Amino acid sequence: MLTADKGRLASISEYGRPGQLRRLLLFVWQCWKLNLAGAMEFRLSFLLTAGMMVINNVVWIVFWGLYFRRFPVLNGWELRDVMMLWAVAAGGFGVMATLFGNAPRIANLVATGQLDVYLSQPKPVLLHVLISRMSVSAIGDVLFALMIYAAFGDKSVAGIVKFALAMALSTLIFIFFTVISGCLAFWLGNTEGLSFQLFNALLTFTTYPTGIFRGLGKLVLFTVIPAGFISYLPIGLLRQVDVPFLLGAVAVTVLLCLGGVRLFYSGLRRYASGNMISLRR
Amino acid sequence: MASIVVQQLGKSFRTKKKREGFAGSLKALVRPDYEDKTAVGSISFKVEQGETLAFLGPNGAGKSTTIKMLTGILHPTAGYAEVLGCCPWKERTKLSYGIGSVFGQKSQLWYHLPPIDTFELMSRIYELRRGDYLQRRDQLIERFELGPYLHTAVRKLSLGERMRCEIAAALLHRPQVLFLDEPTIGLDVVVKQRIRELIRELNREEGTTIFLTSHDAGDIERLCERAIVINYGRIVFDDRVELMKRRFLTHKTIRLVLEEEPERVELAGVSVLEQSGVRLALSVDTELTTIEAALSRIMARHRIVDVTVEDPPMESIITHMYGYSGKEELAT
Amino acid sequence: MTALGKSVKYVFIGKITLRNQLAYVADFLVRSLFLLLILYIFLQLWRTTFQGEGTELIAGYSFKQIMWYLVVTEAMTLACPSLCTRIEEEVKSGDVAFKLVRPISFIAFHYVEYMSEAAIRFAVNAVLGGALGLLVIGPPAFGAGLLWLPVAAFGGFTVNFTVNMTLALSAFWVEETRGLEFVYHKFLFTIGGMLMPLELFPEALQRIGHWLPLQAIVYIPAKTAVAFDWTRLPAMLATQAFWIAVFGLIAVFVYRKGVKRLNVNGG
Repeated sequence: MLTADKGRLASISEYGRPGQLRRLLLFVWQCWKLNLAGAMEFRLSFLLTAGMMVINNVVWIVFWGLYFRRFPVLNGWELRDVMMLWAVAAGGFGVMATLFGNAPRIANLVATGQLDVYLSQPKPVLLHVLISRMSVSAIGDVLFALMIYAAFGDKSVAGIVKFALAMALSTLIFIFFTVISGCLAFWLGNTEGLSFQLFNALLTFTTYPTGIFRGLGKLVLFTVIPAGFISYLPIGLLRQVDVPFLLGAVAVTVLLCLGGVRLFYSGLRRYASGNMISLRR
Repeated sequence: MASIVVQQLGKSFRTKKKREGFAGSLKALVRPDYEDKTAVGSISFKVEQGETLAFLGPNGAGKSTTIKMLTGILHPTAGYAEVLGCCPWKERTKLSYGIGSVFGQKSQLWYHLPPIDTFELMSRIYELRRGDYLQRRDQLIERFELGPYLHTAVRKLSLGERMRCEIAAALLHRPQVLFLDEPTIGLDVVVKQRIRELIRELNREEGTTIFLTSHDAGDIERLCERAIVINYGRIVFDDRVELMKRRFLTHKTIRLVLEEEPERVELAGVSVLEQSGVRLALSVDTELTTIEAALSRIMARHRIVDVTVEDPPMESIITHMYGYSGKEELAT
Repeated sequence: MTALGKSVKYVFIGKITLRNQLAYVADFLVRSLFLLLILYIFLQLWRTTFQGEGTELIAGYSFKQIMWYLVVTEAMTLACPSLCTRIEEEVKSGDVAFKLVRPISFIAFHYVEYMSEAAIRFAVNAVLGGALGLLVIGPPAFGAGLLWLPVAAFGGFTVNFTVNMTLALSAFWVEETRGLEFVYHKFLFTIGGMLMPLELFPEALQRIGHWLPLQAIVYIPAKTAVAFDWTRLPAMLATQAFWIAVFGLIAVFVYRKGVKRLNVNGG
């Protein structure tokens, strides 16, 4: 060891003592509280944007309502399934954008070198980045999801448990797919546009029944852009548990989580390139 | 006791070479040409606990890259460093409890919220004991005089107020080393002075090691005992600040008021800085001639009313120093 | 100023304009990608629907017709610039006052700007959407509809402009107009016939739809293109003209009121 004893570190910090997890949760909680407080600074625009999102989603439900009035069944899908699809998709997106709102901005943060602050502080970098922003309008999406479920969902205990599981899978797929698409910026420079397109494709595909896609389209939905694992949840989990599908969805979710975290941290080693600004001639 | 030890630390970036024109861009897309750019060559130095160090260099010299490697933000491509016994890029989390950092351009305060909220979050990030945190917070609030705007949203604060909060936030967890990257940029003279005093006080009372980069000569003169100057990624000077003046003081300025307007002054090693009427300012290169010789040559031709001999300001010493490349033997 | 200085200045201005245009190109591409994505999804949706129904025609439309109908409506919708963003900015920053001084009508100025932008974007979208259509759906049987589409699209964009302008000008009174615009767009999507032809709606909604200006924006141009009918053309164009007149007048009226208010309050 070249310098003085390590015991000098952490003077008034509880770092290294038991209760690590509790303190991590306290930190996450504090971050969310601050985000909300920040949003409340502009209360009116908060209510407006959140309300707007609800209206946006309702219009789509109306479209599907009109559609199913004319054509009652769409390749095995009924109006209720599509409503659950919207609940799961809008809900998953909403939870991501509300509680982990920096996910869609990772490409930008990396390319413009804005990770410095997170890197100079002791909390897990990816977690810290993700929870440091809250999209206010997305609160509307979460509310919409809950409203739709309350109105049309299966409110038995089993139903609620299944819905909670569907929401969890949907949220995690959204977060980590978005993280992975954002991480491209570590290797390819500023990929803001590309990353956003990938994210947007996921978001768009999740709001249409898987029943309408065939062949190559279906293959894409269950591989490159894993929207299928979200948009088939209403049939494969909520309506009736389809064990192979559910196992597949869980496996894909776990894979995305592990892959996303790994990719992000191996990207951090190359984070340097995000600082090219200082080298520009 | 050494706080920071740096051994042959180096960092090079691999950047895509830009080719001319549209066809070049297309070609670069298919088969990019890479170019290695050295940001930090191979630098070594040591900083003792409690030192105040100014880390200087022109834009793009590698200052920020070095500070970022020492705080664990960037991974180096060569060499080794230890800060408080930790290797920054390997033990980043552990190290971060012992250091504080203020990046003048990158705020850690939450823009739409009052500073007190960020302080609260910092206490969670650094897992501070409640009682200790409150005591420390109040102490910093008092010392940095933050009371009046503690509950005002950061976006409504002036730059000086914000910077004071910024530094206080970085000090909440009692770091032993404080890294400051351009802490006084954009501030007015009075605020600058106050911030320097506060940092100085902190160094004296808590023995905090200060590692500072700045473009401001005042920061260096009033705050730091030691200076390291890097240019083109290499150390060109590493010694006490006063010595910096002595070593690089190859010019002196003579200000004269003469009885009548002088004709053209042409002397070896002397150049005219400004001339208006009977007032004359000359720069004397002390390597080519002496002050005495220059003065006596002028006195032989003119009658002098008033004369002063000055050292050039710190500012121009630094500018002068930046003129040297890393290859020339300047240091030691 | 020397001649050299002047030319340097213009080169500089030219550079900035060019860069602005390039920024638009990126924006174009993003929108176009989205157009292709959405068309692909609708293609799948209607293919499945027609299979489920097992009939050649749904509400008088063939599969091909519905798809080309959607190509037109989506290409138009994604071609509309956001007027509210622009006007709101001008009103808030006080730029609107500068424009008042110029010897040009505020509304006419914005109309020209809006229409030229919409025209370029629509052309790009039409080429892309058309290419996708030709490849996947097969050539349309537009006939004379193809000739009348530009006319009906011109009318549709104009109606959209007048309605949008009316909404945007409320920026004189309210803080946020983008919310209004957002809701308006949503109505356009549904009852305006962007997502599916009005004929597929329930009877009652169809009747309401025909009494609203929304049908004149994308429904009429798309219908004109895919199911051209000489006998109905005059009525359709008359509907567009009627709504242009109504909302044009409202926009002018609202604008005058707003300016008066601005003068009274001194901005």
